[in-house]
Amino acid sequence: MPSERLEAGRPAPRGEAMSTQHRLDALRGTTPPRPHDARAIAALAANPGCSRRALMDGAGVDKDAAARHLGFPAPFGQSPFAITRGNVFEALVKADGCAELLRMLREALGLPVAEVAYHDVENVGAHLRHAHTRALIDRAATGGQDAGTLYDHPLLTLEIAGHTAYLEPDVVAFQLGGRFHIVEIKSFAVIDGQADPAAVAAAARQAAVYVLALRTLLEELGHDPLQVSHDVVLVCPENFANRPVATLVDVRRQLAVLRRQLTRMTSLDRLLAALPEDVTFDLRPDEDGRPTRPVAELADALRGATARYAPDCLSTCDLCFFCRDEARQEGACDLLGRQVRDELGGVASVAEALGLADGTRDPAVGQEEIARLLRNAERLRRECLT
Amino acid sequence: MSDRLDDLERRIDELRAGVRKAMRHRDPATARTLRAELRSAERAWDALVSGEQPEVKAEPPRLVTVREQVHQGLRLLGAAAQPRLIVAVSDAFFGGTIRSAQLTSLRRDEERSFRSSPHGRPYYLCAALTDRLSAARGLLTLSTWPLERRVVGPLSPRVDFLTCAIAVAEHGEEHGAGDGRAARLLVRMARNIPGATDGTFGPPVPGQVAAAARAELRVHAERDTRDRAELAERATAQLGDTARLFGAATLMTIKKENAK
Repeated sequence: MPSERLEAGRPAPRGEAMSTQHRLDALRGTTPPRPHDARAIAALAANPGCSRRALMDGAGVDKDAAARHLGFPAPFGQSPFAITRGNVFEALVKADGCAELLRMLREALGLPVAEVAYHDVENVGAHLRHAHTRALIDRAATGGQDAGTLYDHPLLTLEIAGHTAYLEPDVVAFQLGGRFHIVEIKSFAVIDGQADPAAVAAAARQAAVYVLALRTLLEELGHDPLQVSHDVVLVCPENFANRPVATLVDVRRQLAVLRRQLTRMTSLDRLLAALPEDVTFDLRPDEDGRPTRPVAELADALRGATARYAPDCLSTCDLCFFCRDEARQEGACDLLGRQVRDELGGVASVAEALGLADGTRDPAVGQEEIARLLRNAERLRRECLT
Repeated sequence: MSDRLDDLERRIDELRAGVRKAMRHRDPATARTLRAELRSAERAWDALVSGEQPEVKAEPPRLVTVREQVHQGLRLLGAAAQPRLIVAVSDAFFGGTIRSAQLTSLRRDEERSFRSSPHGRPYYLCAALTDRLSAARGLLTLSTWPLERRVVGPLSPRVDFLTCAIAVAEHGEEHGAGDGRAARLLVRMARNIPGATDGTFGPPVPGQVAAAARAELRVHAERDTRDRAELAERATAQLGDTARLFGAATLMTIKKENAK
């Protein structure tokens, strides 16, 4: 499957890359770039069409600070209770040499009984973790006799728009049919075989980031990147007890989106070309780090880059409230969710759609089909109401 | 008794009036304290009326120190174990009163004690050693054990788990199941050993659990013994007394390895 290969790492021509980097630095302004973590990278894949987000993330702008300065702080950050619960559940799964995890891998995936070797990458100390992860994965991929089965606390890297992001998957499992599997431990419950779709989607996106990072690592080491399975092992509590259960989740779709988004980030020059030369998202912080830039000026600069607001943004992006406010002011269909927006293709605002529906507005070229549908819907609604 | 009841009723009325007044004056802090007093007064009134004495939950006397309880748990298990498991074993078989949080600083205290007067105690609670000869995270061992038992190779976490399961099963068999705690511990361990339960919801048979654990142990034993022997040899050759018990500093070990 050649399409599975990573294309994000393709080097751009040198001069062009320099000027892009230069412009991104100008966009960010005086503050140092914000490092990416898996959650942030996964959120990128949640809304690939948003150029505002692509630009801000590419430049490493602190979106949270920008949103707070604009007066639209996002109520983000996990609650401490959720974090504690997550940690306790992870400790339970990993207790006693990953006893629970081994049981699940044996039952669900047929892991041979002899495969129990456990390597805690963290043993080497924080600063060497990445190098040690590389060494261990290299040894496993080469097919040495003493290759381990479970790698705990690995540290992977992924190049995001010229910056290195450090990623920590929960566990990497090897030797399930000679392939690497990412194990993602999440504390939301799977009840009667069903879990919250939004939570699963978020977990899958996050796991896709790890799969991509591990594949990149294998490629760098000269191994076949497809040794990393696109099936990730998702471990969640089952029903109402704390007993963990493992499910395989196919993340091929998330991988494709992620890869496309990362490619876009490396080709940010196209997005930059659409912006005026002198635009910047700088907050101009003073010595105490308080932003001094006039809010209206920053808002104008941000509006220069088109956003693609969807209600899902509320759970993934720091700027969500700003974009929602903007969409409300424009009366955009985006507010109604992705599905409605896609069905109203070519109709930008709610007012326009209503006008088409009650016939006060004539359809433009290409809008005839949607206008007919809207009028039908309006007629049906009237019939129901009268 | 009725005098006391009258007093209480008067007090309750006063407090109620006070709460109402505080609310009227928009003084939530005073209202809150008065409410708390009101509630305790009402509870006392309830207790008096029904003739019950308020129960004082008796804390079981702590005759054995935390250190001694951990030692007891580890001696039963016979392998390096996480604090969580030690606490569960101590709770199930020795009526232990320790909690995991009490074990966090234990190893550091032991190390300090050893440094100030080496070999001054009959035993020390010490660290398990990783393949870097540093202290393994979250594992406790006993200084009286041979070094082979205190090092952790790649297979050792599993082997230690199986060893612990066998110990728990056998102890349960010898001393009777006791109360539910021991049975629950065994259920939890048996679940993760292939062939230890027969798929029913009934409690696992200790003998069967031990046999299943031994069967899996046989698969890993050879390689694990080899790994451990090699690690133990390295530890004996490279580490001083303190480091052998409590683990070498990570960087130091690496520098030594590089210098070779």
